[in-house]
Amino acid sequence: MRTKRILKNAFKNLWKFKLRSFLMMIGIVIGIIALTVIVSVGFGAKGLVMERVKKFGLESLMVTAGGGVQISQMGSTGQLTATLKLDDAEFLKREIPAIKEIAPFNRKGNADVKYFEKATTTTLLGITPSYASVWDWDVTEGEFITDEDMAALNRICLLGPTVQKELFGEKDPIGEQINIGNIQFEVKGILQSKGTSPGGGDMDNRIMIPLSTFMRRVANVDYLAAIKILLHDSKEMNTTVENINSILRERHNISTGVPDDFTIITPTEVTKMAEKISGTFNLFLALLAGISLITGGVVVANIMSISVNERKKEIGLRKAVGANSKDIMRQFLFEALAVTFTGGIIGIILGGVGAKLLGVIMQMPISVSWESILVGVVSSSIIGIIAGIQPAKRAAKLQPIEALK
Amino acid sequence: MNNIIVKAERLTKVYNKGVGGDVFALRDVSLEIHKGELIAIMGASGSGKSTLMNILGCLDKPTEGSLFFEEKEVSKLGDKELASVRNKKIGFVFQSFNLLARTSALENVELPLIYSDKVNVTKLAKDALNLVGLADRVHHHPGELSGGQQQRVAIARALVNDPDIIFADEPTGNLDTKSSYEIITLFQKLNKEGRTIVLVTHELDIAEHAKRIIKVSDGRIVSDELNNSPRNAETELNKLVKEVKNEN
Repeated sequence: MRTKRILKNAFKNLWKFKLRSFLMMIGIVIGIIALTVIVSVGFGAKGLVMERVKKFGLESLMVTAGGGVQISQMGSTGQLTATLKLDDAEFLKREIPAIKEIAPFNRKGNADVKYFEKATTTTLLGITPSYASVWDWDVTEGEFITDEDMAALNRICLLGPTVQKELFGEKDPIGEQINIGNIQFEVKGILQSKGTSPGGGDMDNRIMIPLSTFMRRVANVDYLAAIKILLHDSKEMNTTVENINSILRERHNISTGVPDDFTIITPTEVTKMAEKISGTFNLFLALLAGISLITGGVVVANIMSISVNERKKEIGLRKAVGANSKDIMRQFLFEALAVTFTGGIIGIILGGVGAKLLGVIMQMPISVSWESILVGVVSSSIIGIIAGIQPAKRAAKLQPIEALK
Repeated sequence: MNNIIVKAERLTKVYNKGVGGDVFALRDVSLEIHKGELIAIMGASGSGKSTLMNILGCLDKPTEGSLFFEEKEVSKLGDKELASVRNKKIGFVFQSFNLLARTSALENVELPLIYSDKVNVTKLAKDALNLVGLADRVHHHPGELSGGQQQRVAIARALVNDPDIIFADEPTGNLDTKSSYEIITLFQKLNKEGRTIVLVTHELDIAEHAKRIIKVSDGRIVSDELNNSPRNAETELNKLVKEVKNEN
């Protein structure tokens, strides 16, 4: 009866002092909004990266030049091991029936490109016509590299959207002449946009030219950076990897006990990388969530503390008319609970709406993580309750006349 | 001796003021309050009269000495028992009313009942408001009431749990003459009905309405005398009303 009356009285109090209740609530609301938005955007970005990693494909594997290459080092522009040859690629395709398609390629980082006064730096890839199907990477305008281009060592190129924008702006680049290094190339097509790579690089800042042209005219090399291989069936993955391994070791004359001079990357490796990225992301998200919670918690603690201190007199009066310390604690605990709970709900709603809006405006994927929001609401409620209860406890311990002063 | 409500033995209250040394608000004060008394504790500001009343009313603790409330030693009571004494046995009226803002007169009077075991809370609160003549102001908030009316709400709050003793600290301190007489009239009426009342004042003409006047100076009781011919506030109130009418 008594508890019920105290709770009823506390609720009436909250309603009567709407502004005060609102101010108590706002810390929680802001904290949870921040948490919801940050975490949703973060999880969205993580989802996007994971999706890209998965696009590597279950039927794909990659042979890169050099032994013990980590997947994170792929695409780095350091000195390549010069043992992986185009003949290797063609031999593999011929000898292993499980292989559906191969895409040998080479690359050069930081290639200087010029179109009249406009200049930029990009990654130059030497590729074969099969690159399009193996990487699922076509042109949106113009034409892809053909076998004729390969045979004739044609000086034609495909531009990534970033390069296109840098050099041509709004102008149609098809048929225009650009300089890559000192060599003139004709723009044959515009590549489909691929956005950001799992490693964070701009996959649209690329120029692709025929592999033969790359090897003989540009880089003057006879070796490859890597071969991406597409299988007919992912079930043949393990045997194919073994086959490739033994064939390449034999062709490269590697005696028993000597390590490989190439690395085979399979979807398993890619999944491992994805998990590693996911782990980093989770850590980052936890950090962000932690910061927003601490900030929210500090705001809540301050406002609660100020609010309760302001009500010292009320606590004194309640004690003077017969409230014991427990009654006071019960009232403030209930008030803090009601405020933080309501604040948490409002925060989740506003945060969810905010995250969705942000996603639409900035064209980012959004993924709301309910677990982290729940953790947020619970922990900021605890902070709010402790912050609200502590000063009430202190005031309740005073002699009534001290609190009334 | 059974009619002693409060017994104070050698109460001393010291405030530690740091640089200036200790300040004695009360020194060695002993007194007894009997059932049915109407006592005025008088003294200049800083004399220690309010400190004495706060200790007698269990709102403060003495530094030394003991206080017995109905033969129980107050310092030995736990938090719950002490709260229960304040709730059931004592009614307190403050100079600054101490009403809860944005809260109706009725809810203010109900406040002590929240912490009691009583059931018919609203009825008891309405009865108390009726007793102080505010039956028509039940739903008014403190901001909508005059000073005198606010103090009557506070008195109703002090009365609502039917306490054994009512303490009033300068109850007329913030009021004009007419309202003051109204409040004293109310106290005299409540005393006549058998309630024990202790009020603190620095005004002699208020104190002269009491049946016993205790004078406090420098933290000590300097005189404690029965007033055989207390003034009647109701008579004075009527006189005042008549004078005002004549002037108009």
